Amino acid sequence: MNVHPIARTTTALLGTAGALLLAGCAGTAEAEQKAPDDAAVSAPYADGTYTAEGSYRTPETVESIDVTLTLQDDTVTDVEITGDHQARETENYQGQFIDGIADVVVGKKLDDLKVDRVAGSSLTSGGFNQAVERIKNEAATAAQ
Amino acid sequence: MHVWRFEAIGTVWEIETIEPLSHRRRASVTAVVDDFDATWSRFRDDSVVSSLRSGGTAPVPADADSMLSLYREVGQATHGAVTPLIGAGLEALGYDAQLTLRPGAPIPAPADWERMLRWDSSTLSVSVPAVIDVGALGKGRLVDLVMAALDGIHGRVTVDASGDLRVRGGAARIALEHPFDPTRAVGIVEVQDAALCASATNRRAWGSGLHHVLDGRTGLPVQTWAATWAICHDAMQADAVATALFFDGGPQLAADWGVHWVRMTTNGRIERSAGFAGELFT
Repeated sequence: MNVHPIARTTTALLGTAGALLLAGCAGTAEAEQKAPDDAAVSAPYADGTYTAEGSYRTPETVESIDVTLTLQDDTVTDVEITGDHQARETENYQGQFIDGIADVVVGKKLDDLKVDRVAGSSLTSGGFNQAVERIKNEAATAAQ
Repeated sequence: MHVWRFEAIGTVWEIETIEPLSHRRRASVTAVVDDFDATWSRFRDDSVVSSLRSGGTAPVPADADSMLSLYREVGQATHGAVTPLIGAGLEALGYDAQLTLRPGAPIPAPADWERMLRWDSSTLSVSVPAVIDVGALGKGRLVDLVMAALDGIHGRVTVDASGDLRVRGGAARIALEHPFDPTRAVGIVEVQDAALCASATNRRAWGSGLHHVLDGRTGLPVQTWAATWAICHDAMQADAVATALFFDGGPQLAADWGVHWVRMTTNGRIERSAGFAGELFT
């Protein structure tokens, strides 16, 4: 199993955790095998295994998970996620209705698929996007 | 194929037909959308729901019974997590009409909304100050209304309200967008004469852990599930299930309604209902 989007960059790596970090959480990532020095944004990672830790707060608990990625030729060849969910909305809660519980999704490039439509979260309107830009700018100004 | 693209109710719409839509058809679609927005939008001062913010009574809107009756079922199935009185909770976190996006203290929704929000064949009334938000299923409802306004058009018709879509007169192959990487898909499914509604926490988000899917019991954004997809004959029910799947009780509700679905956790794992006919890239 592999998860691609995690792997491309440092940012993306944290971005995956970002999914797990959505909650205002602290996250750290460390490479067991050193990444190239200029890995800042877009440089490929060296082959190897990388581990990211993340935690996020739920209404009831603090959840923590570990993500381990194996990279080869700038592609994730394996991903392993371990964690200890304690929250009320748990993954395995209602097994009788669920088939294929908890496979880690690999994903495919949309460009490689022949589809009529894509279904995901709603695109936001110009007003919302401008508002998000505004608060980002305000945060950047406040930080100076 | 012809595509008519426009923005409405805060998102992007596409209507795809074999022949271009006539001006008369476009006008009827626009009227349906405008009427829905003028009734249910909490982002405009002159809407019906805005007129009820301090409590009060209004003539019952055409869709009130359909939507609020469904809310009752979804609310029961999710033990109060999904509620039409979540508007104040969204505004507390900054998702307000001015789009301030400045989060304050979370506000849970009232637990017994059915006592406060009442409707019959003539009136809709709210007994306390409250902000109605029909985001859990309203867009699906509007997709159904728009499809009805396109009645009689031959060939495949697709109404895609960006995340919530319905296909009539044919089938469409739909990619399920990866919630962490919009250039990728987590799966693919064919939808024939049915609706597919998706919900995810990645776009309508404005800060660390701040997005638009709230748990009414806490007023806090959900944490465990990142994206959901549901397939049903009509879009309102599919939309409702897509929302319910962020909570315990969602899979049970889907089974009760015969809705098939997929959902993905914030840590990248994916689940599907036992009868989901699509392919997942795991």
